Order: sequence, then C-alpha cells, then structure tokens
Amino acid sequence: MSKIAYIKPDSVGDAIEILADKGSSAAIIAGGTDVMVDLRSGEITPEYLVDISRLEELKGIRMENDELVIGAGVTLSEIYNSDLLAEYAPALKKSAYNFASAQIRNIATIGGNVAHCSPCGDTIPPLVIHEAEVLLSGKDGQKRIPIEQVATGPYRSFLEPHELITAFVLKPRKAAFADFKKIGRRKDLAISRLSMAVMIDKSDDGTISFMRFSLGACTPTPHRMIPVEEFMVGKKPTEKLLFEGGRLLAESMIEITGRRPSIIYKEPAVQGLFVRMLHPVVN
Amino acid sequence: MEQQFRVVGNSVPRSCSKAKVTGEIKFAADIKLDNSLVLKTKRSDQPHALIRSINVEKALAVEGVRSVFTARDIPGKNLLGIINKDQPLLAEDRVRSLADAVALVVADTEEAAERGAAAVEVEYQELEAVFDPVEALKEGAVQVHEKGNLLSCRKVVKGDVEAAFTSAYSVIEKEYTTSSIEHNYIEPDAGAGYVDENGCLVIYASTQNPHYDHKEVVGLLGVADDEVRIIQATTGGGFGSKLDLNVQGFIGLALYHLKCPVRYVYSREEAYLATAKRHPFVIRVKTATDKDGRFIALQMRAVCNTGAYGSYGMAVASRSAVHATGPYAIENVDVDVKCVYTNQTFCGAMRGFGAPQMALAHESQMDLHAQALGLDPLAIRRINGLRAGQTSATGQLLTASVGFQDCLDAVAPYYEDAKENWLSAPTDPFKRRGIGIGGMWYGIGNTGVQNPSTARVEMSPEGKVTVFTGCADIGQGSTTILAQITAEVLGLGHDDITMVVGDTGCTTNAGATSASRQTYISGNAVKDGAEKLANVLLTEAVDRLRAPKNSLHFVDGHVAVSIAPEIRVSVAKLAKRIHDKGGTLSWQGFFDPETVPLDPETGEGVPYATYAYACHMAQVEVDVLTGEVDVKRIVAAHDVGHALHPGNVVGQICGGVAMGVGFALMEEFEPGKTESMKDYHVPTVSDVPEVVPIIIESPEPSGPFGAKGVGEPALIPTAPAIINGISSALNKRIYDLPANLERVIEASIQAGHFRVQE
Repeated sequence: MSKIAYIKPDSVGDAIEILADKGSSAAIIAGGTDVMVDLRSGEITPEYLVDISRLEELKGIRMENDELVIGAGVTLSEIYNSDLLAEYAPALKKSAYNFASAQIRNIATIGGNVAHCSPCGDTIPPLVIHEAEVLLSGKDGQKRIPIEQVATGPYRSFLEPHELITAFVLKPRKAAFADFKKIGRRKDLAISRLSMAVMIDKSDDGTISFMRFSLGACTPTPHRMIPVEEFMVGKKPTEKLLFEGGRLLAESMIEITGRRPSIIYKEPAVQGLFVRMLHPVVN
Repeated sequence: MEQQFRVVGNSVPRSCSKAKVTGEIKFAADIKLDNSLVLKTKRSDQPHALIRSINVEKALAVEGVRSVFTARDIPGKNLLGIINKDQPLLAEDRVRSLADAVALVVADTEEAAERGAAAVEVEYQELEAVFDPVEALKEGAVQVHEKGNLLSCRKVVKGDVEAAFTSAYSVIEKEYTTSSIEHNYIEPDAGAGYVDENGCLVIYASTQNPHYDHKEVVGLLGVADDEVRIIQATTGGGFGSKLDLNVQGFIGLALYHLKCPVRYVYSREEAYLATAKRHPFVIRVKTATDKDGRFIALQMRAVCNTGAYGSYGMAVASRSAVHATGPYAIENVDVDVKCVYTNQTFCGAMRGFGAPQMALAHESQMDLHAQALGLDPLAIRRINGLRAGQTSATGQLLTASVGFQDCLDAVAPYYEDAKENWLSAPTDPFKRRGIGIGGMWYGIGNTGVQNPSTARVEMSPEGKVTVFTGCADIGQGSTTILAQITAEVLGLGHDDITMVVGDTGCTTNAGATSASRQTYISGNAVKDGAEKLANVLLTEAVDRLRAPKNSLHFVDGHVAVSIAPEIRVSVAKLAKRIHDKGGTLSWQGFFDPETVPLDPETGEGVPYATYAYACHMAQVEVDVLTGEVDVKRIVAAHDVGHALHPGNVVGQICGGVAMGVGFALMEEFEPGKTESMKDYHVPTVSDVPEVVPIIIESPEPSGPFGAKGVGEPALIPTAPAIINGISSALNKRIYDLPANLERVIEASIQAGHFRVQE
C-alpha cells in the first residue's frame, strides 16, 4: 500500500470541492468497511481518501413533506434502531438486522452500501421497493436519480468522481406485510447468495391489492421485478400461487442473467425463498 | 474413580491465561527484534512447470531489498518432510503446485520485500498438471514425482470379505467424497530470528513441533545441532498445519547468510496459499450385515489426494485405513487406502488425520443398514459397538478403557427425549427436522510407529520444581496439564511448578503436538521424570523420618507418614540434603506407547496402545426451500479415560463441534480459487449449535492417572451426525461434503419436499 493523503472535509460543499479537484485520484470513505478491503487487495489505488463519516449533513432519518429521508451517512445500526423506519420502511430495517456483523453494522453506512454498487448490497432491494431516489450533490449542484440507476453494472457506478450521495428519499408505506430475506453460506458475516424485499397490502376480499418486490444478489444490478408484482396483484395468495410466482421470478431472473453455473442453485432457491418470505400472507 | 487426586481432575487456571486475555503475551508476530529485516517468498504461479531460469537482478535493484536467495543458496539438504522427504524449501528445477516457493527476498520493509518478490523473474516451461487423484493413478498420467504418483498404500485385511458378502443378509455399497479443508487457525504462521553471541541461529516460531523444526533447519543448513535453537513462540492454534516447516526454514536460511535479525509473518492469504490442507478423500465402501444388524464385512477402496508433497500424507492414509471400521467389531475386513500425489496444494496433518473422512463413510453406512433392516440408529451401534475383550481389524485385542458403549448410553436419554419431544414438535411447513448419530474411535499417538516423549523434571536445592518439556502448547492446554501431573506426583500445587516449554536450547524432544498424544504420551514422560525425582525424595525421607518408604506420601510440599501425617519433613529440606550429599535432583522422564508395527500386506499389528471413543447426536432443521441447515444442538459424549482438566476437555469438545459444523456444511478449499476468509466460510458463533458435552471416564491403565486424549476426537463424530440428521430430515442422503446449500436443496428437490405442502 503506497502513501495516501487523508482529508476530512468540514461540509458537503467542502467535500465536493475536494472531490472535484482531485478527480478520480480520490476515494470517498465513510464507514470504510468496503474501502479498506479494496485498498488492501489493491482493487482501488487512490492518492487521497476523503472521509465524510463525520459530516452532520449526511446524518439523520426524518419525514419531510410526506417523504422519508435517510442521510447517506446513517449507519446500519441506526437503521435497525430507527422507530420511523420500523413504521414506514420495515423491510429496510430488517435488512439491517443481520447485515454482516455487529461491528460492521456500527460503522458501515447506507450510502456506502449503495455507492459500492455490489450486486449483493443488502440495503438495495428494500430501497428499490420504496422506489427510493438518491440525492446527489456535485459541482454542478444537486440532482435526484432513481436508486436503480446508481449502479450501471457490478461495482460500476453511474456517479461522477465529484458526486456524493447525500441522502435517500423513500416513499413511506405502512404495508400490511413487509419483509427482507437473504440466503448466505452461514448465518452471520456472509455475503448474500440471494436476497429479496417485499411489501404487500391485501383487499378486504383477501386478494393482493398492492405489491412491491425486488430481487438482490442475483442480477448484475438490483431489480424491481414488475412482472412478478403484476402476476400476484389481484390474486388470493395460496401456497400454489406462491410457487407459481416464485417460478415466474426464477424465469425473470434467468432472462436477465442467462444460465450461469450458479443458476443450478439460484433457480430453485429464488423460488424457494420467495415462497418462504411470502408464506405469512397465505390466509 | 476409586483413587483420590488432589490436582489432576480439577480445572485449574490455564497457564498464561491472564497474559492472553490482557493481550500482554507475545505471539510470534509480536516479537520485534531491533533492526530486523523482513522476508517474503516468490511463489510459483504455475501448478506444474520446469524452471528454465530465475533472474533476481530486478528484484535486487528494488530499493530496500537486501538479498534474494534461491535453491542454490541452501548449504545443506534442500528436501523437507517429517515422514518422507520430498518437499524443497525453494524449488530447484521444477514447481509442482501454486504453493511452491521459488525465491526468498530479504528487505528492509514489508513493502520492499513485496515489491522485490514481485520483481523476481522466473521463466517456466509449463508441464501438464494433474489434479484428480484417481486420474493421477492411471497409466500414462503425468508424474508429479519421479518415483510415481502413488506415495503410499495401507492395507488392512482380516477374514474373508467375499465369503461374507455371499452369505450376508444385507449388502450396501456407496461412494463418499470429502473436501479439502483449510485449518484457518487464528494466528497466521509467523516467526523471527537472530544470531546470538555464540553464533547460534535462534528462531522463534509459531509451531507444533519445535524439535522437528530444529532437525529440519539443521539439515537444511548443514550445520551442527548446537548452531540452531528453535523456541516455540506462543502459538495461536495449529490444528496440524504448523507441524510442517512454514517460516522456520526461510528464517534459518536468511540468518545463515546475513547474520542479522529477520522476521517473517504470513498474511492470511499466504497462510491459505502455502500451508498444508486436509486431504480430500474419495471413499468407495461396501458393507454387509446379518439379519440382526451385525456388521460382518467391510470392503473399502479409498484414495486420498496429498497434493504436491507428502507431508503427513502417509500417516493420514495409514490412520484412515486402520480407522475404516469405526468403533465397531467387524470380522471380515478388506481395506486399501492409497495416498496419491497431484499438483494441488499439498495436504498434511489436520485434526483427525483421515479419521473424520472415514467417519463420514462408516457412520453413513451404519445408518443405511439400520434403515434397510428397520433398526434404530442407536440400536445398530449398540449391536456393533466395540467392547473390551473384542479384537480390532488389525487383530489388536482391546483389553481396557473401551468406553464406546458408555458413550452411546450417555447420549441415549437425550436421543429418546429428542425423538419424543422435539422431532415432531410443530414447526414451519417448509422445515424438516432430523436427528443424527455419529460414532467414532481414535487411536492415541502415531500409527504403529515409535513416538516417544521425554521430559526433565528438576528440583532446586530450595525445593522449587521446574519441568523442561519440548511439548508445544498451541492453545490446547498441555502446559497446564503437564504441571498438574507433576504437582500430583510431588504433592505440590499446580502453580508451584515452573514450566519451560518448547525451547530446543534447554528442552528435550517430546514429539509433535498431534495425534491427540500429548496428555497421554508427554503426560507419561513427565510423570516418569516426576516419579524418579519423587523416589529420591522418599528415599531421603526414609532416613529422615525413620519410617519405611511405603508408609510415606507427599502432601502440601512435605513428605509425611501416611498414618501419622504430623510426622513430616518439607520437600525443600529433603532437596537440600540430597543436593549437599551430591545426589541428583534432575531426572529425565521417558514414555513410548507399546505398539506393534503394521504388516504391510495385512495391516496386522497394534497401531496404538489405547483409543478414545465418542458419540455425538445432532438435532438439525433443514429448510427444504432454500437448502439452509440449522444445527440446533449437538450432544457430545467422549470417553477420555480420565479428564485431568475437565475444563480443557469441554473446551476441546465445543471447539471440535464448531469445526465439525464447518466440515459438514460449509468448508471447502479450492486450490487456485480460495484466497482468504472472504471466500472460505468457517462457522461464526451464530452457526455453532448448543453443545452438551458429556465426559465419560473409562480409565486407561497405561495413561497418566488414567488419561487418554480428546483433541481430535472432539471433531470427528460431528459431521457424520449432522449428515445423518439431514438425511433423516429429508429422507434423502448426501454423500459428499460439504452438505452446502447446493447439495441440500438438490436433495430436497429429489426427495419431493420442494412443493406445495397444504
């Protein structure tokens, strides 16, 4: 590891100025749980590390004009402990429950999880189902882009070097049922082999009236699975329907990814996890 | 036990435990010698190739690089290995795996050493490589070593299996495979060294066998014994991998040439790349029972892949063949285990030496036969389980301390309770529960070969006792137990004993910390030394107390008359008298278990003086939709002879279970792919089930105060118990380890569980 200059800006504006100045020779560090790993492996070789972890402007979870705003510097532990999220974005809260390990949750940020553009980022499927938008600050001012546009591919970001994620803006929803589930090779500290998030409301007659569903870790970038949502809405959830929905999900996934070797497991497992996750809505 | 003990049998505080929890203790990587240079090796990037040339010019030009050594710079014999010598420290004319070291770079800093290693230019002529051991045995296969790819073959033959198969009621033949495993000890290999004022090369190392290291470094450098001193640094685990020479040879070579302090600390990646792994096995086994479920025949053909070098491969093949029957009496046996070279990362010793691989096979077969005959899994093990008075497959009469049936009895109430109250309890419609039993036996010490230990027990004229032992404590607690044994013999407290451990400058050879042998073998050696010392003290006391020797005993630092304990003399006074008379207070202890070498054709012999036994019960819950397995509880009964330190025994059992969970469900080292803990999964605390350890004491007459061993046995039954639990839950068996997500979901689908349940 060669010498790296460490810079701690005092404000978002300051940070953007530095990022604009240093260009791609700078890397942003918040919790550092991805950056430190990438530095050691040589995956990234920045000359400057710009530490945004102490910027108050990036903190806080709040309601603003009926929108749920989560600062990019909010840690996974803060997400898990937020009453506001428990009420309005429970799937996101659940995704923080066994995210990596306690030590990592205490320092890793939601902004970092999204900006890293890993196909396996656990917070992304819950953000997708809340149709989250990403607030970006850059040298040309602020803009808002849909969460699904942040990653252009695995570990490839749409963001310019001078742009910083400052917050996520979610559509809050007190859904009757919301969940996040993942499968890893062990119970903790495992990268998700697959993950998914869902919100469901039912009509009085028991049919699904509203559904948002997103699949993680299976496709190069996170995907809201609209065909699956459309298939399920208007129907009464039965085990049989869940297996059919899961089947459609597996097919939709394969349509995106093609038949890679890992599909031997993922094809049944996405179907299985779909059934497992949605089973509580049967009856 | 009838005999009363004062010190052994108590979980006294472990040696160095305070320094360990406060972080004061120095592990090898913490040893910072002044102005020490840093070592780094250039390793092969070819699995099999001839070396055309090695150019070190560019490496030497890197700023901060002091020297670059190649095979040419090794003054002695450039071939290492504890059983067969086939592994060069630095490759000469060819590389046989990605782990092979080609050049050693010495530099001022870690960064310079790394840049230097990267700058070493090696020109290779690629050779065809072979990775599959079955392929490697075929005619025309590429030869990894000149002597051929078959390193060794161990046969165990008894009775007539073919005749037994003909007359059998039930015959079942299956194939099992196990994965290559990384030990993943907490502390990556490390060491440091300097040249002392007498010109002796002093090497601190994280090691399981300092006296072996000494012999190898002496041979490598072609120097006299007293020119090298190995000191075992506090060692953070080993599990068998630190039985090979890892950093020691490199440090020795650099010290020999440069005469200035050096250090070498493996990164986790290098520890993964360059150290031994557990042998993956392919096991074909055919077993037969009579109509009552009695096993009458076992035939096995197994191949274990030792990779590019032998390391402990021959011992693994030998031990696995002897353990093929499991803890069961089988009259007709025909076992053939071959140890085969390939171009994979070399495999060596790992906790269990082939016995865990065998246990998957014999415990799965046990359940398959139970199922075929409608017998309960515990019942079929009771029918076949070894008892004292029975004879093993190698023809060894087991006379005492055969506690397998006791282990089964201890697990039985948990088993019955789980069947009744847990198995059928309401659960998720897509989760299925299963209970699995796993049994094992494990011979203590090396297989059919001499494996002595020695120790010196010394008393100062002031009565202070010091034990000098070469026995490496790698975290398992041998230092504490050896102190307890000495204290027991001499009527002292365990903390009255000063322990000098693992320093070839002042200790004598205790053999390897492996094969679960140190409590039994080094314990006996220490006991022997302590008893010799005790004898001279008693002799002196006879004179002093005017009482016959057999009326005296040691108590609280005194020798006292048993029936009149107020008549006593302090050990310190006796020591002073002996010393003043010119008597000796320093005694060498020795022990070598009685074994008979195995016949090369039939395996007949006495491979071990004693065996440990165990039975585990696993309660598992399988998610039929995702392939996830949740191990809820392991009940683990172990016959350890006599638990000299019950806390240590429980610790070994719990750690063994954790490792067994990894072996069963998730661990798989893929050479060339697996780089570090990021892509190799060991269980986290959340993956470790509730463990119910049960200590069974069936005293071993030849053991120190009845003790045997538990280090490896702790791990062996866990994986088969879990696999049997999964098979019972799914009604579908998994034959290949690990039973990972992919294999479990496949079994679930094949068994028809992956469907609408309502």
